[in-house]
Amino acid sequence: MKIGLEVHVQLPTRSKLFCSCATSAEEPNTAICPTCLGLPGSRPVLNRRALELGLTIARMMECEVPDATWFTRKTYFYPDLPRHFQITQFDSPIGERGQFILDGKKIRIRRVHLEDDPGRVRRVGKTGEEVSLIDYNRSGIPLVEIVTEPDITSPSEARRFVTELLKELRHVVGVQADGESSVRADCNISVAEERVEVKNVQGLRNIERALKYEAVRQVKLLKAKRPVLRETRRFEEGRGVTLPARKKEFEEDYGYIGEPDLGVFHIRAMADALEIREGPMETMVRLVDKHGVQETVARQIVSTSMSLASLFERLAVDVGSDAAITWVTGPITASWSKLEPRLDEVENEVVAAIISTTSGKMSDVEGRMRIEALAEGRDLETIQAPEGDIIDMVESFLDDNPELVKDFQDNEKAANRAIGQIMQATKGSYSSRDVVAAVMSALRKRI
Amino acid sequence: MGEGATAVMSGLTFDLEKLNQTYHMFNDMAAETVPGEDESIFQFSAKDNLCTKDLQARAGSRILEGYRPPFDATAVARLRSAGGVLLGKTNMDEFGFGTFGTNSGYQVPLNPFDLKRACGGSSAGAACAASVIPGHLALGVSTGGSISCPASFCGVFGLTPTYGRVSRYGLIDYGNSLDKIGLLTMDVGHLRRFLPIISGADPRDPTSCAQPPLELDAEVRRVVIPEDSLNGVDGDVLETFQTAIEHLSHMGIEVTTMPMPALRFALPAYYVLATSEASTNLARYCGMRYGERNEDYNQHFDPYFSKTRSRYLGQEAKRRVLLGTFTRMVGFRDRYYMKALATRELVISEYAQAFEEHDLVLTPTMPFLPPLFADIEGMSPLDTYKADGLTVPPNLAGLPHLSAPCGYVDGVPVGMQFVSPHWTEGRLVTMAESWNGAHPPMRPEVIL
Repeated sequence: MKIGLEVHVQLPTRSKLFCSCATSAEEPNTAICPTCLGLPGSRPVLNRRALELGLTIARMMECEVPDATWFTRKTYFYPDLPRHFQITQFDSPIGERGQFILDGKKIRIRRVHLEDDPGRVRRVGKTGEEVSLIDYNRSGIPLVEIVTEPDITSPSEARRFVTELLKELRHVVGVQADGESSVRADCNISVAEERVEVKNVQGLRNIERALKYEAVRQVKLLKAKRPVLRETRRFEEGRGVTLPARKKEFEEDYGYIGEPDLGVFHIRAMADALEIREGPMETMVRLVDKHGVQETVARQIVSTSMSLASLFERLAVDVGSDAAITWVTGPITASWSKLEPRLDEVENEVVAAIISTTSGKMSDVEGRMRIEALAEGRDLETIQAPEGDIIDMVESFLDDNPELVKDFQDNEKAANRAIGQIMQATKGSYSSRDVVAAVMSALRKRI
Repeated sequence: MGEGATAVMSGLTFDLEKLNQTYHMFNDMAAETVPGEDESIFQFSAKDNLCTKDLQARAGSRILEGYRPPFDATAVARLRSAGGVLLGKTNMDEFGFGTFGTNSGYQVPLNPFDLKRACGGSSAGAACAASVIPGHLALGVSTGGSISCPASFCGVFGLTPTYGRVSRYGLIDYGNSLDKIGLLTMDVGHLRRFLPIISGADPRDPTSCAQPPLELDAEVRRVVIPEDSLNGVDGDVLETFQTAIEHLSHMGIEVTTMPMPALRFALPAYYVLATSEASTNLARYCGMRYGERNEDYNQHFDPYFSKTRSRYLGQEAKRRVLLGTFTRMVGFRDRYYMKALATRELVISEYAQAFEEHDLVLTPTMPFLPPLFADIEGMSPLDTYKADGLTVPPNLAGLPHLSAPCGYVDGVPVGMQFVSPHWTEGRLVTMAESWNGAHPPMRPEVIL
């Protein structure tokens, strides 16, 4: 089975691709202007940020980026498309011949290009009396289209591909978190010879459902010795089936011509200057290969957060991989939700506490408590009580436990009970050295 | 239409309504009048395909009936802020599709020198207003010669700047890679005064943002005529043109000829590119968001769109949409559209060669006198397209050009066209001024 996907993802820009309208709006038809309504005499002006993000994605997938790129008019008639042509890229995509490594397998990327989204048709009104209304808020929203070669071999792999792709995009360019439901894909699938395209499937789950349905349908046809027609189909979400699209709906001949209003963009310098953040996939592979982390653990670390992964790598250098795994998957993960927002501030102290612990200057309990305190933002220096307090606490503890003094006379190790109890009671407010010192001196006084 | 609108020019007051009844130059008129003698205030007109907030913008098409844009075209806005008062919108061939002004969904302007003749197109009303109203400044638009042609037929100066010199923001598109906004006027001083005002980078039209500064002081000494360009030019036009060449020589300008064989490929390449772009630009007119709509909403969008477009687009608009759609189709795209793009490069380099040794390239503007309306009816579309043979090459190449009145045959004007290198409009302004000094154009007798 061969599957190729054309994935459409919204780029996270504040304004639209060819005008300065906002990309989000509450009420229908409020984020609109002459350009995104296609009024006569209006003109597109390219949003540079969208171009940058598109190039970042192209480079993230190791695409070849051309020196110059331009836009193309793709003409078709549909009520949600105000100019009746979409501005897309046909013969000069911003990236070609890239790749995406999915669970160690290479999925070749044919091309990456930019285009604008049409508006949305809404059917409203009582059954039988519905009317179509159009919301142009979405008209001109910047999209990136990522086209794979037919290297995907199952519907579930297609879903994994899109899932992992979205994770990477979220981290590398900050694609919105709702990407999994808003992502749209044209899904090409062939079980034998002929290819069928299921157009415009929305959402991760539906991509898998549509492909599964289509795979089964094609296999059934072949078993019945009937031909699979080369055609375009659409997915009906409600019934979970694919149906032949009416010929008119997806006209093949779009009559592409260059978009003269935008001209040619020389993108080499911009593409070279971009700094591409490493994606979760690459980090995960390095955690496994370089630091000997188990793959499931590495996946868990990067999917928790890329900053957790980078904290791990720092600790691995300072205290070794094994200790780093113990600390990161244990106490740090436990406090992560509170720690992450404060990490910039307290990362050095967290690392210092773990170094102290592994070098024996601090007990494990103490280290754990210190991390908790850092995560919660308790300032140890100011909360820490004056020295008198701890002496009082030790004294009252010994008053309540007179048998401990006797035990101590027999064996000094009995002191550890007092030390442990007081450490827990003070939740790491005092260093272990102070507690040990206070307990020992109190006990010695009482002998 | 505004009532009692008047044009106050050079101390004379004109009743626009009455003028328009005779000449049909205006499509929609302002109700404003300008009292007083304030020198800084001037009146101008805009071709109907330029967007204006206070008047309709219909581009000569019935399909845009009633459309009032929410914004001013940059060229209009710049003239207004320089003290300009917009008199009205001038009639034109629908969307610019025509050579005589006769393909209008509204009124067809009549030639001020002979009312039985055409004004030329597509900026027909603009040239007519510039010819009839003393001191008038008309904004025109040229895609393949739509300023030069009517300027020549109406005996006025028509300046088409370099592609990208004047922002196209607010211009209703014909062929975006070819459209240029320019000036038509009988008063040669307007060129120097108003070209700098409408020129300059505009962030709302990226193609205007790469221009060098406008340099108006220039010298013209050597002019060259492409050898083949006089083939097919009518005898009376040719005679007038030859006399003009003698006058140029007397002015100390050296006139020579050279072969420029690639120019003859400009016409087919132009019609392919212009119609390809036009067919995509016109796709938006479907009776949904603005302009005319047909009343029956209760149907699928396909028949709804088809019905609106069939009813409200004119014959020539339909022809060009079909031509342009054909040249973009899979299987024909390489043969027509891509080949036309390559031809454009060839024409540009042919001109570049000519400009190595010469300041300007010169031809007659049109191959014949302004035709009688009766004769136009008998012309095939191909005959009409061929009439653009001399005006199309500089337009295809994006080069600035000027049509200047160079003589008269039986009281009807003949024009000559100068072409200069990209961004050197100053040569054309200088040429116009020195020519006007020696041979000022004749004014038509105004009939009210």
